[in-house]
Amino acid sequence: MASIDIAAVRKSYGATPVLRGIDLTIANGEFVVLVGPSGCGKSTLLRLIAGLELIDKGEIRIGGRRVNDLPPKDRDLAMVFQSYALYPHMSVRDNMSYALRLRKTPKEKIAAALKGASAKLGLDALIERKPRALSGGQRQRVAMGRAIVRDPQAFLFDEPLSNLDARLREQMRFEIKKLHRDLGATSVYVTHDQIEAMTMADRIVAMNEGVIQQVGSPSDLYDNPANLFVAGFIGSPAMNFLQARTVAGPGGMSVTVGQAEIAKVPPATPTGPVVLGLRPERITLTAPGQGAQAAVDLVEPTGLGMIVHLDLDGQQLKTFTTERLPLKAGERVGLMVPPGSFCLFAPGTGERLAG
Amino acid sequence: MTTLDLSASPAPPHALLRRIVLKAEPYLYCFPALFLIAAIMLVPLIVGLSYAFRDLVLLDPASGDYIGLTHFGEIWADANFWNALQNTAIWTIVCVALQFGLGLTLALLLNQPFRGRGLIQALVFLPWAVPSFLSGLNWAWMFNPVIGPLPYVFQALGLMQTPDNILSSPDHAIWGPIIAMVWWGIPFFAITLLAALQSIPKDIYEAAAIDGAGAVERFRSITLPFLAPTMAITVLLRTVWIANSADLIVVMTHGGPADSTQILASYIFTQAFQRLDFGYASALAAVMLVLLLAYAMALVAVRQTLLARH
Ligand SMILES: Nc1ncnc2c1ncn2[C@@H]1O[C@H](COP(=O)(O)OP(=O)(O)O)[C@@H](O)[C@H]1O
Ligand SMILES: [Mg+2]
Repeated sequence: MASIDIAAVRKSYGATPVLRGIDLTIANGEFVVLVGPSGCGKSTLLRLIAGLELIDKGEIRIGGRRVNDLPPKDRDLAMVFQSYALYPHMSVRDNMSYALRLRKTPKEKIAAALKGASAKLGLDALIERKPRALSGGQRQRVAMGRAIVRDPQAFLFDEPLSNLDARLREQMRFEIKKLHRDLGATSVYVTHDQIEAMTMADRIVAMNEGVIQQVGSPSDLYDNPANLFVAGFIGSPAMNFLQARTVAGPGGMSVTVGQAEIAKVPPATPTGPVVLGLRPERITLTAPGQGAQAAVDLVEPTGLGMIVHLDLDGQQLKTFTTERLPLKAGERVGLMVPPGSFCLFAPGTGERLAG
Repeated sequence: MTTLDLSASPAPPHALLRRIVLKAEPYLYCFPALFLIAAIMLVPLIVGLSYAFRDLVLLDPASGDYIGLTHFGEIWADANFWNALQNTAIWTIVCVALQFGLGLTLALLLNQPFRGRGLIQALVFLPWAVPSFLSGLNWAWMFNPVIGPLPYVFQALGLMQTPDNILSSPDHAIWGPIIAMVWWGIPFFAITLLAALQSIPKDIYEAAAIDGAGAVERFRSITLPFLAPTMAITVLLRTVWIANSADLIVVMTHGGPADSTQILASYIFTQAFQRLDFGYASALAAVMLVLLLAYAMALVAVRQTLLARH
């Protein structure tokens, strides 16, 4: 178990910069999720940590030791690949014990490690099989098993659940998290799926275009996104962004969409155009006449509740409610935004504005 | 709703004919291909084999009689045959081993990323496109000290005392066609092995690197098992092919000097087309056919036992 320190790391492929200066410290035993859209450089960062690619600039330390020039085998990390990358000619047992055999671990120790891991992952009955005789979920477990028998300094996961169906993914999410609780191993987990990030992470690192956008706990990122990118990426249904203005009125500063006043803002807020971010589930629907006036565009029931698409002064927005309201398309409703449950962003830069 | 009672309906008069036609259908489809194979392969093969039991010398109008196993007795007593058989073994084993070894090395090199790889890949595969007859002539010239550079290279390397033609040395002449054959055949192994190499997923190597495997260990535990089926089939094919191929030897040495480079295939060629003794040549060919069949069957048996163990 070890901490991982990443300082000012840059990486380009040819003339294309892929990572543009990454600084990140991962504490011993922490479960950190790198999340971002496809192509933002998550895998590249993970591969730099693993030593599968060389760093252009900057420094990576694992357990305090500089590893920039160490080959993968000397970094003592374990990695779980999206494709699982099992050795097709080896049985499950040989797949899992490969690293230990290479390290000339004594036979009894290997057997004990195998036994522990296969019991944890429910692989006992499959231990003699070849990977091609396993289902996707079972292969995924073997890949996990191969990582945990090694008892490495840290685990690296590159989208390990992407090839599973939705139900299995949910189950493995839970199991990986439990494994982490039991083993307490430093883990870096890459995913493009914000639900995986939210449910599994101690800390989320949101990335876009080779730059870290925000680092924080899942609730931090959800409640206090640093910019439009994070606000839009985290959460489903996604946050609404409305073209709005902050105006000074007789009752103090407020934010308005069209003519409708949505909420009060602190008096120090500068006036002018802003982007108003509203989480769908934090909007309250009221009777027409109360709050801002909107028209129902479409209603999508989700079982758990319903997503109501609204038209507010020509702008689209979604609200989510667990109540079952008898709403119809075209109907007029009012909407209210409780204080403190919205975000304002600068229209040009997308940065979060105080207030 | 109405139901059809099929069992009650009377059998149509042509039912039997229909059944026969249906049964024959697959054979009818196969017939053209089978006919062609029989006509251009099986029949000549049988006719050719039948020559082995006849005294058949093209320029001797009195020949043509059935002589039983006489030719096979002659073969048993023919020192040239045993010499050719021994040469065939050396020729085949050395050629296959060198082609395979160098072809694999080349494939591994070409599988590394480097600038200009596409061009070099294309160039490397050129020898395969040269007709073997032509490459035999080329190599023969290159070994010739009057016009070729190689004798001087060998001398400079200390392999030869004087720049002689290797093809006229009874002890070393076989190396001439072997070198030409290896040069000509490397691309075959390189192409097929490179294709197999490129089908190995990269992340398996990465997983092994992270698991602590060095380059040699990765080759042993990933590359080799992935390549094994391709290696087995290419070596099998090339062995039969090389054992059978007389063209380079005929072009470069005519089996000489003093029959020192005669292999079975070139010996058969000499008997048939220079001595015009088709009977004896056919008997030799029959022996070779049996030997190659035995080799192929032994390999298949080995393969089966290996597969059964897995
Ligand atoms: N070996 C490579 N050569 C060139 N470009 C690459 C290579 N690997 C990744 N890239 C590029 O780097 C960017 C980031 O890739 P990656 O880290 O795999 O993204 P992701 O966040 O989806 O995992 C992508 O635009 C990709 O095309
Ligand atoms: Mg990726």
